[in-house]
Amino acid sequence: MKSENLDRTLREWEIHESLPPRFQERVWQRIAREEAPTSVSPWTLFSNWLSQFLARPSLAVSYLVLLLFTGLVAGYWQAHVEQTHTLEQLGSRYVRMMDPYQAHH
Amino acid sequence: MKRPWVILLAGIAAAVLGYFAFYFIGTAQCRAIIHEQEPELAWLKKEFHLNDAEFARISQMHASYLSGCAERCRMIDEKNQHLKQLLASTNTVTPDIDKLLAESARLRAECHKQMLQHFYEVSRTMPPEQGRRYLAWVQERTLLSDSHQDMQDRHH
Repeated sequence: MKSENLDRTLREWEIHESLPPRFQERVWQRIAREEAPTSVSPWTLFSNWLSQFLARPSLAVSYLVLLLFTGLVAGYWQAHVEQTHTLEQLGSRYVRMMDPYQAHH
Repeated sequence: MKRPWVILLAGIAAAVLGYFAFYFIGTAQCRAIIHEQEPELAWLKKEFHLNDAEFARISQMHASYLSGCAERCRMIDEKNQHLKQLLASTNTVTPDIDKLLAESARLRAECHKQMLQHFYEVSRTMPPEQGRRYLAWVQERTLLSDSHQDMQDRHH
């Protein structure tokens, strides 16, 4: 009963006032602004990408293993270079000890 | 802290730890040699795979050679000092300069002879293959270190 009265009232209700000027245009402009893509900071982009990338356990484990392997290889290589250089220097020192008057070039 | 960031930082930490772990392991031997009392002899032991007995014997020979070497160096320094004074006092090759040059050359030849003798003694104390390698290596860097071709190459 109440809803029938409400329905009738709503049907009979007429609006006589006119819309504000350029109302439709302003509505469409507002819709366009809401739908326009907002600029995202690079930090946010990276954060989102990181979250997606490391969400999968297999990728996260692969990432950890890869970085650990890279560190080990870099450490091994650096040690090899330094060891070679040190041993060469010691050899030169031995030679200079044997022949102090040897000309240095 | 968010999980992805924890994983990111854990990866970087693993890389850094891995680097330093292998670096320290890889340079451990060299650091041990450098901290020896006589690093050059420690290097010799490692390079030519000497056992303790061979190393002890070679260390003794080395000490004996160095004491003689020090004396020969002192005599060479004396001659050089005298030669320097003579050269500063003239602009020709005087008989004194000639004699001094000859004496310096004789001293230097004696040095080389003693050095070569020491090399042979050391090489005989090493295992045969290592002894041959030692002899070739040390002669290349001392008695045979300069050739006319090498000098020409350096100047070009």
